[in-house]
Amino acid sequence: MSALPSYPFNRTCPFDPPEALREARSQQPVLAVRLWNGERAWVLTRQQEIRQVLADDERFSGRFGQPGFPTVTAARVAVDQNERAFVGMDNPDHDRFRRMFTQEFSVRRMLALQPRITEIAETLVDEMIAAGPPQDLIGMLAVKFPSLVMSLLFGSPYEDHEFIITCAAARHGLTQSVDEAERRARELAAYVGRLIDARIAEPRDDMLSRIIAEHVRPGHLSRDEFAEIGAMILRAGHDTTTNMIGVGTLLLMRDDALRQRLIARPADIRGTVEEFLRYVSPVQFSPRRVARVDVELAGVTIRAGEGLFISLPSANRDECVFERADQIDIDRDNSRHLTFGFGIHQCLGQILARVELQAVFTVLLAKLPALGLAVPQDDIRFKDDMQIYGVHNLPVRWPVAA
Amino acid sequence: MIIDESKCVGAGQCVWVAPQVFDQRESDGIVVLLQAEPPADLHDFVREALAVCPAAAIRIEK
Repeated sequence: MSALPSYPFNRTCPFDPPEALREARSQQPVLAVRLWNGERAWVLTRQQEIRQVLADDERFSGRFGQPGFPTVTAARVAVDQNERAFVGMDNPDHDRFRRMFTQEFSVRRMLALQPRITEIAETLVDEMIAAGPPQDLIGMLAVKFPSLVMSLLFGSPYEDHEFIITCAAARHGLTQSVDEAERRARELAAYVGRLIDARIAEPRDDMLSRIIAEHVRPGHLSRDEFAEIGAMILRAGHDTTTNMIGVGTLLLMRDDALRQRLIARPADIRGTVEEFLRYVSPVQFSPRRVARVDVELAGVTIRAGEGLFISLPSANRDECVFERADQIDIDRDNSRHLTFGFGIHQCLGQILARVELQAVFTVLLAKLPALGLAVPQDDIRFKDDMQIYGVHNLPVRWPVAA
Repeated sequence: MIIDESKCVGAGQCVWVAPQVFDQRESDGIVVLLQAEPPADLHDFVREALAVCPAAAIRIEK
């Protein structure tokens, strides 16, 4: 048998998932690959099998760190083994914990936060304008905005946001140090633990205090379990949104017609955000599963104990589901995109993400309608070295009245 | 239309696409059906809600 291809694959075009995934979709939709540590795993590339697996908790386990659970880095092995939140659990534990937090991210709650989220975006864009062009939009807006929104949810002091950003980022690099990933995970859980202790001592009208009253005091949830889940939610609210803002802004700057249309018809931002979510698909190497029993998928037999990567970027370019999948079309039916995953682990913060992205792009277009790249596109560094795809830098400029 | 509360994971997508038909319980974010037999002009939204539910918690019975 010929040598298995190494996973992850490389991109050829910065806006499209690796070409090898497209080939796999048409030739070997369930593809065997070799990982960094020499282990073998499967990569699922089409919606049909991906939806089937993510909806099937009986035959596929999502428990982090179990034998066969596939990884792309050594740091990820450590992160997985230390994960205590429901993101790494199977049912019934997963649902028991997740349900303590779902109402905090409900549509109604998130829409109620919309005015304050918009205010945060306005403040940051105003600060960038005051600093004068050119500015790096990643540092000035894309990193800070989701962090300040998470601070709003957690009631954490503004001056802590840089520490939280550092902790949230210290796990996604493909060359991430194991020690730092473990240390930052511990530090963030300890930090959230201290926020919880402060609310136990002195409740406020906020998320932490409500969870304490409803679940910690009655004994359904321990203080330490809450701290681990809180840290997971805090981390999850950072990098994905940051990268959607970075790449999304780049897409807006590259497309004059789309920008003009959104300025004329702001309501179209909803379909635009949905299409950007499909097209950018920042999460590269999650979700993951291990087969509990032998399963046949697309003519291939997965043995019990073998690991699977689900490729969401590939699912979102599946030609069987999306016509001209590599083109941005804000009018298409993109309701079948899988950017937030599928099944019981589908993103808890997806409504928040949508509200945030709609707010930030709306504010940007209103305040800086003539925003443009300040460097040639070749100077943009794409995150080929990260598990969450995006751009490292985005120098922008805008006309300034004389 | 029937909903299965035990399957619902509170992702909120049904409420996002069809707020006239679905809501989330204040206590735990689980889906609540506002109208079990929505009028024809809402059927497209309901179909989308069915399609986007990650947990197959919404069913249509004739």
